[in-house]
Amino acid sequence: MVLFVAASWWTAETKRMDWHQYSGYALLAVVTFRLYWGFFGSSTARFSRFVQGPRTVLAYLKGQWTALPGHNPLGALSVVALLGLLFAQIVLGLFTVDVDGIESGPLSTYVSFDAGRVAADWHDGLFDVLIWLVVLHVAAVLFYLLYKKENLVAAMLHGKRDYAGDPAAAMKSASWRSLAAGLVLAGLLTWMVTRAFQF
Amino acid sequence: MSGKLFLSLTAAVLTASLIAAHAATPATPAEMLKARHDHYKELGDAFKTVRDGSKAASPDFAALEKAAEVVNQASVNQQQWFPKGTGPEAGKTRALPEIWSKPDEFTAAQKMFSDRAPKLLAAAKAKDVAAVSAAFKDLGGACKNCHDTFRGPED
Repeated sequence: MVLFVAASWWTAETKRMDWHQYSGYALLAVVTFRLYWGFFGSSTARFSRFVQGPRTVLAYLKGQWTALPGHNPLGALSVVALLGLLFAQIVLGLFTVDVDGIESGPLSTYVSFDAGRVAADWHDGLFDVLIWLVVLHVAAVLFYLLYKKENLVAAMLHGKRDYAGDPAAAMKSASWRSLAAGLVLAGLLTWMVTRAFQF
Repeated sequence: MSGKLFLSLTAAVLTASLIAAHAATPATPAEMLKARHDHYKELGDAFKTVRDGSKAASPDFAALEKAAEVVNQASVNQQQWFPKGTGPEAGKTRALPEIWSKPDEFTAAQKMFSDRAPKLLAAAKAKDVAAVSAAFKDLGGACKNCHDTFRGPED
Protein backbone atom coordinates (compact mmCIF):
# COMPACT_ATOMS: atom_id res chain seq x y z
CA MET A 1 0.00 0.00 0.00
CA VAL A 2 2.68 2.46 1.01
CA LEU A 3 4.51 1.85 -2.28
CA PHE A 4 1.42 2.53 -4.37
CA VAL A 5 0.49 5.58 -2.28
CA ALA A 6 3.99 6.93 -2.94
CA ALA A 7 3.66 6.05 -6.63
CA SER A 8 0.27 7.78 -6.80
CA TRP A 9 1.68 10.92 -5.24
CA TRP A 10 4.70 10.96 -7.53
CA THR A 11 2.76 10.32 -10.75
CA ALA A 12 0.27 13.07 -9.83
CA GLU A 13 3.04 15.57 -9.05
CA THR A 14 4.76 14.85 -12.37
CA LYS A 15 1.45 14.66 -14.30
CA ARG A 16 1.96 11.10 -15.55
CA MET A 17 -1.75 10.49 -15.49
CA ASP A 18 -1.73 7.11 -17.24
CA TRP A 19 0.59 5.71 -14.54
CA HIS A 20 -1.43 7.52 -11.88
CA GLN A 21 -4.46 5.55 -13.06
CA TYR A 22 -2.60 2.21 -12.95
CA SER A 23 -1.37 3.01 -9.47
CA GLY A 24 -4.92 3.90 -8.40
CA TYR A 25 -6.25 0.61 -9.80
CA ALA A 26 -3.57 -1.30 -7.90
CA LEU A 27 -4.59 0.49 -4.70
CA LEU A 28 -8.25 -0.22 -5.38
CA ALA A 29 -7.46 -3.94 -5.64
CA VAL A 30 -5.29 -3.94 -2.51
CA VAL A 31 -7.76 -1.93 -0.40
CA THR A 32 -10.71 -4.00 -1.60
CA PHE A 33 -8.85 -7.13 -0.61
CA ARG A 34 -8.01 -5.66 2.81
CA LEU A 35 -11.65 -4.73 3.43
CA TYR A 36 -12.69 -8.26 2.44
CA TRP A 37 -9.97 -9.69 4.69
CA GLY A 38 -11.39 -7.60 7.55
CA PHE A 39 -14.49 -9.80 7.42
CA PHE A 40 -13.34 -13.15 6.07
CA GLY A 41 -9.60 -13.15 6.74
CA SER A 42 -7.37 -14.48 9.49
CA SER A 43 -8.58 -13.77 13.02
CA THR A 44 -6.13 -10.91 13.74
CA ALA A 45 -7.09 -9.15 10.50
CA ARG A 46 -10.82 -9.00 11.25
CA PHE A 47 -12.37 -5.67 12.16
CA SER A 48 -14.62 -7.39 14.73
CA ARG A 49 -11.45 -8.51 16.51
CA PHE A 50 -9.48 -5.32 16.80
CA VAL A 51 -11.86 -2.36 16.45
CA GLN A 52 -12.69 -1.23 20.00
CA GLY A 53 -14.83 1.43 21.60
CA PRO A 54 -13.42 4.66 23.11
CA ARG A 55 -13.36 3.15 26.63
CA THR A 56 -10.95 0.40 25.60
CA VAL A 57 -8.79 2.91 23.74
CA LEU A 58 -8.62 5.05 26.91
CA ALA A 59 -7.78 1.99 29.00
CA TYR A 60 -5.02 1.13 26.55
CA LEU A 61 -3.63 4.67 26.81
CA LYS A 62 -3.58 4.35 30.61
CA GLY A 63 -1.71 1.07 30.27
CA GLN A 64 -4.63 -1.01 31.54
CA TRP A 65 -5.00 -3.20 28.47
CA THR A 66 -4.03 -6.87 28.47
CA ALA A 67 -2.14 -7.50 25.27
CA LEU A 68 -3.81 -9.66 22.67
CA PRO A 69 -2.35 -10.66 19.33
CA GLY A 70 -3.25 -8.21 16.57
CA HIS A 71 -3.66 -4.47 16.44
CA ASN A 72 -3.78 -2.64 19.75
CA PRO A 73 -6.90 -0.45 20.31
CA LEU A 74 -5.13 2.78 19.33
CA GLY A 75 -3.49 1.24 16.28
CA ALA A 76 -6.93 -0.02 15.28
CA LEU A 77 -8.14 3.57 14.99
CA SER A 78 -5.24 4.27 12.66
CA VAL A 79 -6.09 1.21 10.55
CA VAL A 80 -9.75 2.20 10.25
CA ALA A 81 -8.98 5.84 9.47
CA LEU A 82 -6.33 4.97 6.89
CA LEU A 83 -8.42 2.34 5.13
CA GLY A 84 -11.51 4.54 5.14
CA LEU A 85 -9.76 7.63 3.84
CA LEU A 86 -7.76 5.68 1.30
CA PHE A 87 -10.91 4.03 0.01
CA ALA A 88 -12.68 7.42 -0.18
CA GLN A 89 -9.66 8.87 -1.96
CA ILE A 90 -9.69 6.08 -4.56
CA VAL A 91 -13.43 6.41 -5.17
CA LEU A 92 -13.11 10.19 -5.60
CA GLY A 93 -10.28 9.60 -8.05
CA LEU A 94 -12.46 7.29 -10.12
CA PHE A 95 -14.92 10.17 -10.67
CA THR A 96 -12.36 12.94 -11.05
CA VAL A 97 -12.27 15.12 -14.18
CA ASP A 98 -9.35 17.39 -14.99
CA VAL A 99 -9.79 21.08 -15.75
CA ASP A 100 -9.73 20.44 -19.53
CA GLY A 101 -12.14 17.49 -19.51
CA ILE A 102 -9.43 15.36 -21.13
CA GLU A 103 -7.84 13.21 -18.41
CA SER A 104 -10.51 11.61 -16.25
CA GLY A 105 -11.17 8.73 -13.92
CA PRO A 106 -12.94 5.74 -15.47
CA LEU A 107 -16.26 6.34 -13.71
CA SER A 108 -16.42 10.08 -14.52
CA THR A 109 -18.56 9.17 -17.52
CA TYR A 110 -21.43 8.76 -15.03
CA VAL A 111 -21.17 12.31 -13.63
CA SER A 112 -21.26 15.82 -15.09
CA PHE A 113 -18.19 17.94 -15.78
CA ASP A 114 -18.95 20.10 -12.73
CA ALA A 115 -19.43 17.10 -10.43
CA GLY A 116 -16.17 15.65 -11.76
CA ARG A 117 -14.42 18.92 -10.93
CA VAL A 118 -15.82 18.82 -7.38
CA ALA A 119 -14.50 15.25 -7.08
CA ALA A 120 -11.13 16.53 -8.28
CA ASP A 121 -11.07 19.25 -5.61
CA TRP A 122 -11.89 16.73 -2.91
CA HIS A 123 -9.37 14.26 -4.33
CA ASP A 124 -6.79 17.02 -4.07
CA GLY A 125 -7.80 18.17 -0.58
CA LEU A 126 -8.24 14.74 0.96
CA PHE A 127 -4.69 13.83 0.01
CA ASP A 128 -3.38 16.49 2.40
CA VAL A 129 -5.27 14.81 5.25
CA LEU A 130 -4.32 11.31 4.18
CA ILE A 131 -0.61 12.08 3.96
CA TRP A 132 -0.47 13.20 7.62
CA LEU A 133 -2.11 9.97 8.73
CA VAL A 134 0.38 8.03 6.62
CA VAL A 135 3.27 9.94 8.21
CA LEU A 136 1.88 9.23 11.69
CA HIS A 137 1.35 5.57 10.86
CA VAL A 138 4.85 5.10 9.45
CA ALA A 139 6.33 7.00 12.42
CA ALA A 140 4.55 4.64 14.83
CA VAL A 141 5.85 1.59 12.96
CA LEU A 142 9.38 3.02 13.05
CA PHE A 143 8.99 3.72 16.78
CA TYR A 144 8.13 0.07 17.34
CA LEU A 145 11.02 -1.09 15.17
CA LEU A 146 13.73 1.17 16.65
CA TYR A 147 12.60 1.73 20.22
CA LYS A 148 10.51 -1.31 21.09
CA LYS A 149 12.53 -3.60 18.80
CA GLU A 150 9.45 -5.11 17.24
CA ASN A 151 9.09 -5.46 13.48
CA LEU A 152 5.47 -4.66 12.69
CA VAL A 153 6.01 -4.62 8.93
CA ALA A 154 6.59 -8.37 8.94
CA ALA A 155 3.57 -8.76 11.23
CA MET A 156 1.45 -6.81 8.75
CA LEU A 157 2.34 -9.28 6.03
CA HIS A 158 1.91 -12.63 7.79
CA GLY A 159 -0.32 -11.42 10.65
CA LYS A 160 1.78 -12.95 13.45
CA ARG A 161 3.42 -11.36 16.46
CA ASP A 162 5.39 -12.87 19.32
CA TYR A 163 2.81 -13.66 21.92
CA ALA A 164 3.14 -15.52 25.18
CA GLY A 165 -0.40 -15.29 26.51
CA ASP A 166 -3.49 -17.45 26.24
CA PRO A 167 -3.09 -19.76 23.22
CA ALA A 168 -6.85 -19.68 22.64
CA ALA A 169 -6.47 -16.01 21.61
CA ALA A 170 -3.63 -16.65 19.14
CA MET A 171 -4.08 -16.00 15.47
CA LYS A 172 -6.15 -18.40 13.44
CA SER A 173 -5.31 -18.41 9.77
CA ALA A 174 -8.03 -18.13 7.18
CA SER A 175 -8.53 -20.91 4.67
CA TRP A 176 -6.79 -20.88 1.30
CA ARG A 177 -10.23 -20.88 -0.25
CA SER A 178 -11.08 -17.65 1.55
CA LEU A 179 -7.81 -16.10 0.34
CA ALA A 180 -8.49 -17.14 -3.26
CA ALA A 181 -12.04 -15.78 -3.10
CA GLY A 182 -10.74 -12.42 -1.83
CA LEU A 183 -8.13 -12.17 -4.56
CA VAL A 184 -10.68 -13.01 -7.26
CA LEU A 185 -13.17 -10.50 -5.81
CA ALA A 186 -10.58 -7.68 -5.65
CA GLY A 187 -9.29 -8.43 -9.15
CA LEU A 188 -12.74 -8.72 -10.68
CA LEU A 189 -14.04 -5.50 -9.11
CA THR A 190 -10.96 -3.57 -10.22
CA TRP A 191 -11.22 -4.92 -13.74
CA MET A 192 -14.89 -3.94 -13.95
CA VAL A 193 -14.09 -0.44 -12.67
CA THR A 194 -11.40 0.05 -15.33
CA ARG A 195 -14.04 -0.84 -17.90
CA ALA A 196 -16.52 1.56 -16.20
CA PHE A 197 -18.89 -1.44 -15.91
CA GLN A 198 -19.43 -1.39 -19.68
CA PHE A 199 -18.89 -4.69 -21.45
CA MET B 1 -55.07 43.23 -30.28
CA SER B 2 -54.72 42.50 -33.94
CA GLY B 3 -52.32 39.80 -35.05
CA LYS B 4 -50.27 42.30 -37.03
CA LEU B 5 -49.82 44.69 -34.11
CA PHE B 6 -48.87 41.78 -31.88
CA LEU B 7 -46.25 40.65 -34.37
CA SER B 8 -44.65 44.08 -34.70
CA LEU B 9 -44.66 44.52 -30.93
CA THR B 10 -42.93 41.15 -30.53
CA ALA B 11 -40.40 42.17 -33.15
CA ALA B 12 -39.76 45.45 -31.34
CA VAL B 13 -39.25 43.67 -28.01
CA LEU B 14 -36.91 41.13 -29.64
CA THR B 15 -34.87 43.87 -31.30
CA ALA B 16 -34.62 45.80 -28.05
CA SER B 17 -33.44 42.74 -26.16
CA LEU B 18 -30.89 41.94 -28.87
CA ILE B 19 -29.50 45.46 -28.56
CA ALA B 20 -29.46 45.09 -24.77
CA ALA B 21 -27.68 41.74 -25.06
CA HIS B 22 -25.14 43.26 -27.39
CA ALA B 23 -24.56 46.18 -25.05
CA ALA B 24 -24.02 43.68 -22.23
CA THR B 25 -20.99 42.18 -24.00
CA PRO B 26 -18.11 42.17 -21.50
CA ALA B 27 -16.15 45.37 -21.65
CA THR B 28 -13.77 45.67 -18.71
CA PRO B 29 -10.65 43.46 -18.64
CA ALA B 30 -11.92 41.67 -15.52
CA GLU B 31 -15.21 40.88 -17.27
CA MET B 32 -13.41 39.66 -20.37
CA LEU B 33 -11.20 37.48 -18.20
CA LYS B 34 -14.25 35.97 -16.54
CA ALA B 35 -15.94 35.43 -19.90
CA ARG B 36 -12.81 33.63 -21.10
CA HIS B 37 -12.82 31.34 -18.05
CA ASP B 38 -16.50 30.56 -18.66
CA HIS B 39 -15.74 29.77 -22.30
CA TYR B 40 -12.98 27.38 -21.32
CA LYS B 41 -15.23 25.74 -18.75
CA GLU B 42 -17.78 25.17 -21.49
CA LEU B 43 -14.98 23.76 -23.63
CA GLY B 44 -13.89 21.42 -20.84
CA ASP B 45 -17.49 20.26 -20.50
CA ALA B 46 -17.65 19.59 -24.26
CA PHE B 47 -14.32 17.76 -24.17
CA LYS B 48 -15.61 15.52 -21.41
CA THR B 49 -18.66 14.66 -23.52
CA VAL B 50 -16.40 13.77 -26.44
CA ARG B 51 -14.13 11.72 -24.22
CA ASP B 52 -17.08 9.87 -22.65
CA GLY B 53 -18.50 9.22 -26.12
CA SER B 54 -15.22 7.87 -27.43
CA LYS B 55 -15.06 5.36 -24.57
CA ALA B 56 -18.70 4.31 -24.34
CA ALA B 57 -19.90 0.94 -25.55
CA SER B 58 -22.78 2.67 -27.35
CA PRO B 59 -22.07 6.41 -27.62
CA ASP B 60 -24.73 9.10 -27.74
CA PHE B 61 -23.89 10.44 -31.19
CA ALA B 62 -26.27 13.41 -30.96
CA ALA B 63 -24.52 14.64 -27.79
CA LEU B 64 -21.15 13.84 -29.30
CA GLU B 65 -21.84 15.88 -32.43
CA LYS B 66 -23.18 18.79 -30.38
CA ALA B 67 -20.05 18.78 -28.22
CA ALA B 68 -17.78 18.55 -31.26
CA GLU B 69 -19.63 21.56 -32.64
CA VAL B 70 -18.94 23.52 -29.42
CA VAL B 71 -15.26 22.55 -29.65
CA ASN B 72 -15.09 23.56 -33.28
CA GLN B 73 -16.73 26.93 -32.60
CA ALA B 74 -14.42 27.55 -29.65
CA SER B 75 -11.35 26.74 -31.74
CA VAL B 76 -12.20 29.74 -33.93
CA ASN B 77 -13.58 32.01 -31.22
CA GLN B 78 -10.65 31.57 -28.82
CA GLN B 79 -8.64 33.81 -31.09
CA GLN B 80 -10.76 36.65 -29.69
CA TRP B 81 -10.51 35.60 -26.05
CA PHE B 82 -7.14 37.13 -25.23
CA PRO B 83 -7.37 40.89 -25.75
CA LYS B 84 -4.46 42.90 -24.39
CA GLY B 85 -4.81 43.73 -20.70
CA THR B 86 -6.64 40.50 -19.71
CA GLY B 87 -3.58 38.76 -18.30
CA PRO B 88 -2.55 38.47 -14.64
CA GLU B 89 -2.95 42.25 -14.31
CA ALA B 90 -6.73 41.86 -14.75
CA GLY B 91 -7.28 39.21 -12.07
CA LYS B 92 -6.56 35.62 -11.06
CA THR B 93 -5.74 33.72 -14.22
CA ARG B 94 -3.45 30.99 -15.50
CA ALA B 95 -2.91 32.99 -18.71
CA LEU B 96 0.81 33.77 -18.83
CA PRO B 97 2.30 37.09 -19.98
CA GLU B 98 4.00 35.19 -22.84
CA ILE B 99 0.64 35.23 -24.63
CA TRP B 100 1.15 38.93 -25.27
CA SER B 101 4.94 39.00 -25.42
CA LYS B 102 5.16 36.23 -28.05
CA PRO B 103 2.09 36.94 -30.20
CA ASP B 104 3.33 35.04 -33.28
CA GLU B 105 3.98 31.84 -31.37
CA PHE B 106 0.67 32.19 -29.55
CA THR B 107 -1.25 32.67 -32.79
CA ALA B 108 0.48 29.61 -34.26
CA ALA B 109 -0.49 27.56 -31.20
CA GLN B 110 -4.11 28.75 -31.47
CA LYS B 111 -4.12 27.90 -35.16
CA MET B 112 -3.08 24.32 -34.40
CA PHE B 113 -6.34 24.02 -32.42
CA SER B 114 -8.53 25.51 -35.15
CA ASP B 115 -6.80 23.37 -37.80
CA ARG B 116 -7.48 20.14 -35.95
CA ALA B 117 -10.96 20.76 -34.51
CA PRO B 118 -12.87 20.30 -37.81
CA LYS B 119 -11.56 16.72 -38.03
CA LEU B 120 -13.25 15.93 -34.73
CA LEU B 121 -16.52 17.40 -35.94
CA ALA B 122 -16.31 15.43 -39.19
CA ALA B 123 -15.64 12.21 -37.29
CA ALA B 124 -18.56 12.87 -34.93
CA LYS B 125 -20.88 13.57 -37.86
CA ALA B 126 -19.74 10.37 -39.54
CA LYS B 127 -20.50 8.49 -36.26
CA ASP B 128 -17.03 6.94 -36.53
CA VAL B 129 -15.88 6.19 -32.96
CA ALA B 130 -12.34 5.21 -33.96
CA ALA B 131 -11.95 8.46 -35.90
CA VAL B 132 -13.39 10.45 -32.97
CA SER B 133 -10.84 8.86 -30.62
CA ALA B 134 -7.99 9.61 -33.01
CA ALA B 135 -9.14 13.20 -33.60
CA PHE B 136 -9.62 13.70 -29.85
CA LYS B 137 -6.08 12.52 -29.14
CA ASP B 138 -4.74 14.72 -31.92
CA LEU B 139 -6.66 17.68 -30.54
CA GLY B 140 -5.38 16.98 -27.02
CA GLY B 141 -1.89 17.42 -28.45
CA ALA B 142 -2.84 20.90 -29.67
CA CYS B 143 -4.19 21.80 -26.21
CA LYS B 144 -1.01 20.59 -24.55
CA ASN B 145 1.19 22.33 -27.11
CA CYS B 146 -0.29 25.71 -26.22
CA HIS B 147 -0.73 25.08 -22.47
CA ASP B 148 2.91 24.02 -22.04
CA THR B 149 4.06 27.50 -22.98
CA PHE B 150 1.18 29.84 -22.36
CA ARG B 151 -0.72 28.47 -19.34
CA GLY B 152 0.61 28.61 -15.80
CA PRO B 153 0.30 25.82 -13.20
CA GLU B 154 -2.91 25.15 -11.26
CA ASP B 155 -3.01 27.24 -8.05
